Amino acid sequence: MAAPVSYETLIVERRGAVGWLVFDRPDAANAMDATMLDELERAWAELDADPEVRVIVNTGAGRAFQTGLDVVQLSRDPEALREQSRRTKRAELRLTGWHNQVWKPIIAAVNGVCAGGGLHFVADADIVIASSDATFLDPHVSIGQVSAYETIALARKSPMEAITRMALTGRHERITAARAHQLGIVSEVVDPPEGLREAAQELADKIALNSPTAMAATKRALWGALEMGLTDACRAGSAELVAMWGHPDQTEGPLAFTERRAPRWQPLGPTRGEPS
Amino acid sequence: MTYTAFECLKVERHGPVGWLINDRPHQLNAMSAQMRDEFALAWQELDADPDVRVIVHTGEGRAFQTGVDVSEIAGDGVGMERYRESLENFDLHFTAWHQQVWKPVITAVNGICAGGGFHWVADADIVIAASDAQFFDPHVSIGQVVAIEAIGLLRKMPAEAVMRMAFVGRHERLSAERAYELGMISQVVDPPERLREAAQELAEKIALNSPAAMAATKRALWGALELGLTDACRAGAGELVSMWGHPDQTEGPLAFAEKRDARWQVE
Repeated sequence: MAAPVSYETLIVERRGAVGWLVFDRPDAANAMDATMLDELERAWAELDADPEVRVIVNTGAGRAFQTGLDVVQLSRDPEALREQSRRTKRAELRLTGWHNQVWKPIIAAVNGVCAGGGLHFVADADIVIASSDATFLDPHVSIGQVSAYETIALARKSPMEAITRMALTGRHERITAARAHQLGIVSEVVDPPEGLREAAQELADKIALNSPTAMAATKRALWGALEMGLTDACRAGSAELVAMWGHPDQTEGPLAFTERRAPRWQPLGPTRGEPS
Repeated sequence: MTYTAFECLKVERHGPVGWLINDRPHQLNAMSAQMRDEFALAWQELDADPDVRVIVHTGEGRAFQTGVDVSEIAGDGVGMERYRESLENFDLHFTAWHQQVWKPVITAVNGICAGGGFHWVADADIVIAASDAQFFDPHVSIGQVVAIEAIGLLRKMPAEAVMRMAFVGRHERLSAERAYELGMISQVVDPPERLREAAQELAEKIALNSPAAMAATKRALWGALELGLTDACRAGAGELVSMWGHPDQTEGPLAFAEKRDARWQVE
């Protein structure tokens, strides 16, 4: 791993093949202040560049997962607010793995309330699990703000009615972890809630057994498909598929299977960037 | 505001909630040519009424809506040809989405919702149903094609369930319970008689939110169904930024900080 980078508002660490990105402003319900906005971009880049990291888990310290922009702090930092407004306007946000074009698998482990802008990290993760006491709400319209990015992506990945209901009821209603599981917004509910990080590590360890290169190409194919019609998406997906032919993992996988041994995958360097 | 006296619909306002009620109970609320025309006007009137912040759409009797009035089609000598031009040009005017109504719309499904009745499920922002509601799409069982309403649903919920309804036709029904599991609807009301009360309660909660922010959010989310994800986010950013400088956008955080109800701008 390169020279350690220190963070004020995040905890970034590695456990085995799993990189952890933990929101760490528990006294502010992990809301994003100016420092966190900067640090998120750096943290995704660091985890992406580390070849030892094969899977990334994103969770929060304390009782909340993530509650969106810290408007109070940002109002005292006009420069940071202006920068964030500019990025919002130009659709150049750098909050999530998707924004930062990280093609390693990302698991969001929702450890409590996930509100408003916190939904970015649910919408943009590949896999979402939640503690049994987690809740989801979108209070934007209750405080006179528009909900767009987070709910747009969520509506594409889950039944839309649930998302429009959440966006329009605002702070007057919450989705429980159990209902989020029924709807397919999350794939696993961990009970008791204290078991969440352990469950996330176990899931990430399983995923880390797979070919890093094949997973990156698969991730590009699936997220890319959200950009186009079905036939075009399949064409673009075919290109990702064929791009893997000739890669050592592509012959090592079947070989290890027939020899009944664990495969030895090629390490994967930084994945960030536009899909090839 | 006074509403037109319709023959096939009832239009009412209860507090901030506008009600649109299908009112041909003896024909299971099937849509005659006249009802089709009345829908177009009713949505416009509800949209224009500044006292209406949220709209609930439901039906009288044991059905919510059962699509085009097949007896009229079979007996009037004109049949579906009456609608050829509107379909060829995709120039429909009977749902809130067709009429570009950007106020929140709740469909409250009482009883049977069949065939063309799915237009109002597909095109609503929120759908709730009585526990005895039933959903099925008999188009192919009577030699008709289903397209528009199923296409809308396919984009909003698990596709297999929609395809199954399209091909099983009248030979199977989807229960309210299963519709809830699939995320087609977000609430099952039991006993069924409580449906309207539950819809009014939900609508009143929604009416507490900023009308301007909800309209922009609705445009962003429905607009997103037209585009790829990145383009949809860009267009969504446009809606988001359009709210900056609007009085609600500063009033909201202020009311929150002062722990009082927000006073929203009435458009």
